[in-house]
Amino acid sequence: MRVTRGARIVAGTALLALAVAACGGGATQSGDSAAGGGDTPVRMELGEPQNLLVPSNTTESEGAEVLAAVFEPLVNYNENKEAVEAAAESITSDDNVTWTIKLKPGYTWHNGEPLIAQNYVDAWNYAANQDNAQGAGYFFGRVEGYADLNPGEGKEVTTKEMSGLKAVDDTTFTVKLAAPFSQFKVMLGYTAFYPLPKAAFGDDGKVTAAFGEQPIGQGLFKLDKPYKKGTDQTVDMTVYDKYPGTKPKGWTKLQFKLYNSSETAYNDLQADNVDIHDALPASAIASAKTALGDRYQDQPDAGVGYIGFPLQYNDEYKDIKVREAISMAIDRKTIAETVFSGTRAPADDFINPAIAGYRQGACAACTYDPGKAKEQYAAAKGPAKLELGYNADGGHKEWIEAVANNLRANLGVDVTVKPFEKFANILDDLDAKKYKGMFRMGWAIDYPSAENYLSPIFSTGAIKTGSNYAGYSNKEFDDLVAKGDQAATAEEGLKLYQQADDVLIKDLPYVPVYFYRNNSGYSNKVKNVKINLLNQVEWAEVEKA
Amino acid sequence: MGRYIIRRLIQAIPVLLGATLFIFAIVFALPGDPVEALAGEKRLDPNIVAIIRDQYHLNDPLLLQYWYYISGVFLHGDFGKTFAGVSVSQLMAGKIQVTLNLALVALVMEAVIGVVLGLWAALRRGRATDTAILASTLLLISVPTLVTGFVLQLWLGVWLKQTVGFEVFPIAGATQGLKSYLLPGFVLAGTSIAYLTRLTRTSLVETLRSDYIRTATAKGLSRRRVVGRHGLRNALIPMVTYLGADLGALMGGAVITETIFNLPGIGLQLYQGVYLREQPIVVGIVTILVLVYIVANLVVDMLYAVLDPRIRYE
Repeated sequence: MRVTRGARIVAGTALLALAVAACGGGATQSGDSAAGGGDTPVRMELGEPQNLLVPSNTTESEGAEVLAAVFEPLVNYNENKEAVEAAAESITSDDNVTWTIKLKPGYTWHNGEPLIAQNYVDAWNYAANQDNAQGAGYFFGRVEGYADLNPGEGKEVTTKEMSGLKAVDDTTFTVKLAAPFSQFKVMLGYTAFYPLPKAAFGDDGKVTAAFGEQPIGQGLFKLDKPYKKGTDQTVDMTVYDKYPGTKPKGWTKLQFKLYNSSETAYNDLQADNVDIHDALPASAIASAKTALGDRYQDQPDAGVGYIGFPLQYNDEYKDIKVREAISMAIDRKTIAETVFSGTRAPADDFINPAIAGYRQGACAACTYDPGKAKEQYAAAKGPAKLELGYNADGGHKEWIEAVANNLRANLGVDVTVKPFEKFANILDDLDAKKYKGMFRMGWAIDYPSAENYLSPIFSTGAIKTGSNYAGYSNKEFDDLVAKGDQAATAEEGLKLYQQADDVLIKDLPYVPVYFYRNNSGYSNKVKNVKINLLNQVEWAEVEKA
Repeated sequence: MGRYIIRRLIQAIPVLLGATLFIFAIVFALPGDPVEALAGEKRLDPNIVAIIRDQYHLNDPLLLQYWYYISGVFLHGDFGKTFAGVSVSQLMAGKIQVTLNLALVALVMEAVIGVVLGLWAALRRGRATDTAILASTLLLISVPTLVTGFVLQLWLGVWLKQTVGFEVFPIAGATQGLKSYLLPGFVLAGTSIAYLTRLTRTSLVETLRSDYIRTATAKGLSRRRVVGRHGLRNALIPMVTYLGADLGALMGGAVITETIFNLPGIGLQLYQGVYLREQPIVVGIVTILVLVYIVANLVVDMLYAVLDPRIRYE
């Protein structure tokens, strides 16, 4: 007996292995037959959303991608990068201070209730209230009464509403801003400005966890079931019958498949197991062009990468000639094409080509000119030692090293490259005035306006409250931005912003190095995939192939 | 036997408490601010940072924070919440299932392939088969999991599907039942298979040289009985020890495999937890891993008694 037991263990395990294989075989067939059926979902690659799916707490791309399918924004963006009304009938203002927003008729929430103006007021007041700790609350900073909802750490919030926000009737509401802002309409397409239905709020007035798992929207798709973060590997949705806008032709189901590796998703795309992949990994770009052919897309993405200077407390970089020389010594083209395998484009303006207002070649000092750089650097007596800091957690080492090599070779200086653990550590050291070197900086837009590349990063006010880490301050620039904010029309505003951009190009508080690009691909099963400037797919246009 | 098991389980409690406190302290000591880590490259509003810090007791001293955590776990069975407001228990439940499936598939493959190859090599010692097995296991040990993972995924996933027209092995995800785990299970088990093959071979070769094997052969027993009953059984003890310890290693070390094959397991969750300083996640997962090690060790010790009657537990 005992002897055979050993043999039985071996036999048993072998049997188990066989059973495993047998089960697997069955699954294949059922999987394949399902794939051949009529209404199979269009499947899109997605990274795991960071938070529960609440619009006002979603500031990252993956959660925003899901919410964009479920909600209809007030405005969309057309091919000319202009904001056009979507859920809004009209958005008007005489003075850029008080904005009147009228809603289009016909929109209903996925639970059947009609969409009313109060839904916007409720959602925005909730988002802006500091007690709710919503990540996107700062988007409402321009609305009058925002300060009342954000009295500061440890202080009690005494009201529940922003004084500038009022529902006039069921289809109209007004927004009064604290200061004129000509670009307000452009902001409204962003996730933070989605409305919330009554059903989103619990008895305590907070958005419920159940809503965060299965948001009820008023957009094209309705979630099939709650999304259990951590357990579910897909987010499934179906076209909402009563959606009044354009619906996709020939398909009704959308499935987001969660991947934790972009490379894996690319392999799945090649095998037609996923239909749309909007963030191809750099390692796949070279092969994607041949493997996918027409199904590979490459378009500008609104992000910018910079090298920054601690202008506030390090006088070594104070001379503009030094900053210009550093800029001219960087070979942006090689960095974009070689280091980034074409997933970046060389930067030649502070405003990104994805956004209206970009001017090709605007930044003259962004052109690679090693000869002139060396001459000018020597003449201006630039520092003999440079330091270049970056955060080691974001794949920045390669291009920072490339910049450092450019500077070593072209300026004949000693360059130390200093890795920080996280970007926040660089900021801490800059705040404490401990770090004196140059630093890596990146910017992804909050709303598609040229203004977003200027004021939040370079205005004097942004030193304290925004992202002006260089500590750059120039009155001429501040004035031009303020004038742009007050301009009568968006076009006039844009001209003034471009003038402000010219000031930056002259001063170079940061050196723009590259523009991001969006590299996407799709499978043999779909066609006409268009990605808008918020990096979201235009679902109504997608067709099955 | 029963009393022995109870004693072992009671001994496990201080081990668990010590391990959780240790891990908690390590994550606490990591540089950087967990709330800042949430924000990425933008700064969160200082008000919001203060409110989140307050909500998660981040301003309290280490021991107090640990007390909040451990009392939640033991008194309410609540592993806490992540900074995104998701319950850690819920988060772990689904992911541990995936990792456990993966580790068990890997363990079964390891045991079957490892023992069969090892046995084969030992019986053909010094011949071509033996050399071939030794060489191929050496290759398996020296190629990193990352490489085997991606290569097998490309060949057996992408290329094979494109060639034969239907899916043989899923490329990614855990949605197709056991089939989803075959390829990743093999990749994960790769080096362990190689080690176990070599361990089995060595152990068996040594046992087969013993006096009692010669005696058994001299008694006129068949080759099968000699190798199976007298040889393999006695050679099994180091192999069982290795397998038992390996279960924990397979579960804890699956992060690369899970990433390549997009399996939503605890490996990646643990990595993210450490990265984002999410103590509840890290401590929760480590607690589970410690439990797995403790139970696996206990099972191994029990198996000793089954394999070798001379071993007795009182």
